[in-house]
Amino acid sequence: MPGFDFSNYNRNAALHARGVPLPKATSTGTTIVGCIYDGGVVIAADTRATSGPIVADKNCEKLHYIAPNIWCAGAGTAADTEFTTNLISSNLELHALSTGRKPRVVTCMTMLKQHLFRYQGYIGAYLVVAGVDPTGTHLFTVHAHGSTDKLPYVTMGSGSLAAMSVFETQWKPSLTQDEAVKLCADAIEAGIWNDLGSGSNVDVAIITAEKTTLRRNYIKPNERTQKLKSYVFPKGTTAVLNEKIIHKEDLSKFVSVHELTEESGDVMEVDA
Amino acid sequence: MANPFSINGGACVAMVGKDCVAIACDLRLGLQALTVSNNFPKVFQYGDSVFLGLTGLATDVSTVADLFRYKVNMYRLREERHIAPRTFANLVSTSLYERRFGSYFVSPVVAGLEPKTGAPFICGFDSIGCIDFAKDFIVSGTATEQLYGMCESLWEPNLGPDELFETISQALLSAVDRDALSGWGAHVYIIEKDKVTKRLLKGRQD
Amino acid sequence: MADRYSFSLTTFSPSGKLVQIEYALNAVNQGVTALGIKATNGIVLATEKKSSSPLADASSLSKISLVTPNIGMVYSGMGPDYRVLVDRARKVSHTGYKRIYNEYPPTRILVQDVARVMQEATQSGGVRPYGVSLLIAGWDEGILPEEELEKAAEQQKQAGQGDEEGEGGKKLGGKTGGILKGGPMLYQVDPSGSYFPWKATAIGKSATTAKTFLEKRYTEGLELEDAVHIALLTLKETIEGEMNGDTIEIGIVGPPADHLLGVEGVEGAVGPRFRKLTPQEIEDYLTNL
Repeated sequence: MPGFDFSNYNRNAALHARGVPLPKATSTGTTIVGCIYDGGVVIAADTRATSGPIVADKNCEKLHYIAPNIWCAGAGTAADTEFTTNLISSNLELHALSTGRKPRVVTCMTMLKQHLFRYQGYIGAYLVVAGVDPTGTHLFTVHAHGSTDKLPYVTMGSGSLAAMSVFETQWKPSLTQDEAVKLCADAIEAGIWNDLGSGSNVDVAIITAEKTTLRRNYIKPNERTQKLKSYVFPKGTTAVLNEKIIHKEDLSKFVSVHELTEESGDVMEVDA
Repeated sequence: MANPFSINGGACVAMVGKDCVAIACDLRLGLQALTVSNNFPKVFQYGDSVFLGLTGLATDVSTVADLFRYKVNMYRLREERHIAPRTFANLVSTSLYERRFGSYFVSPVVAGLEPKTGAPFICGFDSIGCIDFAKDFIVSGTATEQLYGMCESLWEPNLGPDELFETISQALLSAVDRDALSGWGAHVYIIEKDKVTKRLLKGRQD
Repeated sequence: MADRYSFSLTTFSPSGKLVQIEYALNAVNQGVTALGIKATNGIVLATEKKSSSPLADASSLSKISLVTPNIGMVYSGMGPDYRVLVDRARKVSHTGYKRIYNEYPPTRILVQDVARVMQEATQSGGVRPYGVSLLIAGWDEGILPEEELEKAAEQQKQAGQGDEEGEGGKKLGGKTGGILKGGPMLYQVDPSGSYFPWKATAIGKSATTAKTFLEKRYTEGLELEDAVHIALLTLKETIEGEMNGDTIEIGIVGPPADHLLGVEGVEGAVGPRFRKLTPQEIEDYLTNL
């Protein structure tokens, strides 16, 4: 991705200088956690995406694939977490093909931090990187400015304090897989209930030396109860001024159909 | 100065139905409080069942619509096939993210049917390309908040094409009536496996 | 100066030839034979793994490469040039496609990209053409509605019955491939940058012999297992040394190998279709030959 296009930058900066607010990017307010156990590592996330105070997505995916044995949980600017993890995943796949080895978690973490450091925090990706490789089980956090941490249990995002309170009271060394999954899910739930930036469901990924198991919507504590009555309108409720039906067969395969307005008529205007 | 997303006004919504999808937009083009045109559609077609709705700054709406016309035509020439809605959504996403640090002031919405399975597909984006894959509905524009309210209450799963038309139309009309910056009529597309129905709705002209 | 046009490869000879490209083809035609056969449900790529000395460590040598999870390739000609092209193919499949559409390129698109790289080496200053021909095999998903595909399959079945009686259904016989329909695709790319789709073909030293053999053995409606069988028989015709799991390399494009995915519970995740057969698997095929 050596190629952001800055051609609108000056326009937007000039507008900003005159008091135009910056565009509201979707952010994953987010609670994300990770925890090492005996035999692997678990990461988990909530599934709410917000745009200011609006819930933009009630069931988004914050656990990102890097490689089969390396996964990432992302907080911060949603587009940045998505594209940064995709880019590193792509580079790591090419690296794995040319070396003929499984990618390592430290390699992934280093590529992420170097990329994020280069952009001085402007790429707002806050990540929990977890994985198992031939050198062992690893768990890192990577901050948008490029700093990293290596810990047995980690939390990030706006719900990190709520989640950390669970870890700090319940974590113990050498957990079993089930205990680790429960602990991570509880930590996410703490975020879901107590942090407004987090909500909806719990996603969990369990990474072991053999395989990764993704448990999408592992817990769904916020299911909407079905409406008791239907709001379906009878046919003909809405007044229609004009209707046009285009059948698929009418469209030839490689021609796009344009509607011409009267002004654009068939006579071309030519300067005299 | 005003927020570029609310200078021109406009609203767009997409909904999933049973074996069909709907996408609709209002027709207003304004300059803050002054209405300039009541015929500025914000939904564009890029294939037999790939539609893109664009709200935001009108100059960027036109630019982005033309940019994707170009990109989709190039795709069709290169690959000798129509672009699938999911592929198109990813193209929109990467194109917007390329301008991460100088974005277009648009909030796109994609709606279509998967060519292989005929399954409905809708998604929305923020202005830097983060995709919101939804299974129910997507809203964008200056009437976003009103549309969220309308859709959350009116939408239900497995609506047939006729029911879906009424639901999306009522949701949009009700929402834009409570938004000063959008309205002035609407276009509604109902996309089915073998046909697309485009309807023009009458809206308040105030 | 009879060969004054042979130095700068960007200069045409008066007869309209770029002789450097022909020399590159000569390099290919001295290379170890490689072949590919397309079946209805997959493709097989096969080649001989030749080592110049018994002291060489053959296990580290690899001539068939995975490019994307559904596309693999093999070469005949110069090994070092091939490795450059494999790297370029893998890279361009990401930068030119996956990072834009979030999906891997269809086989034809990848073939065109690789062919472009090879063509550029015939028109640029200070470079020489790549001394390899490639066989690129892949599986495309296609975008035609499932119903239409079933209908087409039905028609083919009927056409297949007609086939036994006479010429009737033969034109419908091209049942694999097509970017809309999806299915297996097999291409050859030459140093000039030209590329051809094949049902079955061979490149390298014994390409002519092998192709004659394939013409005799190839039938429409071949299954992947039969194709592997024919591939080994063809190699047997041309091979000089002993045939075993260590001297033969086989890559197949087959059904998705979900066990190679390494992940569970990811919606829509499909395993890679391209994979190389292990020496043991090759031995098993050889014993059943």
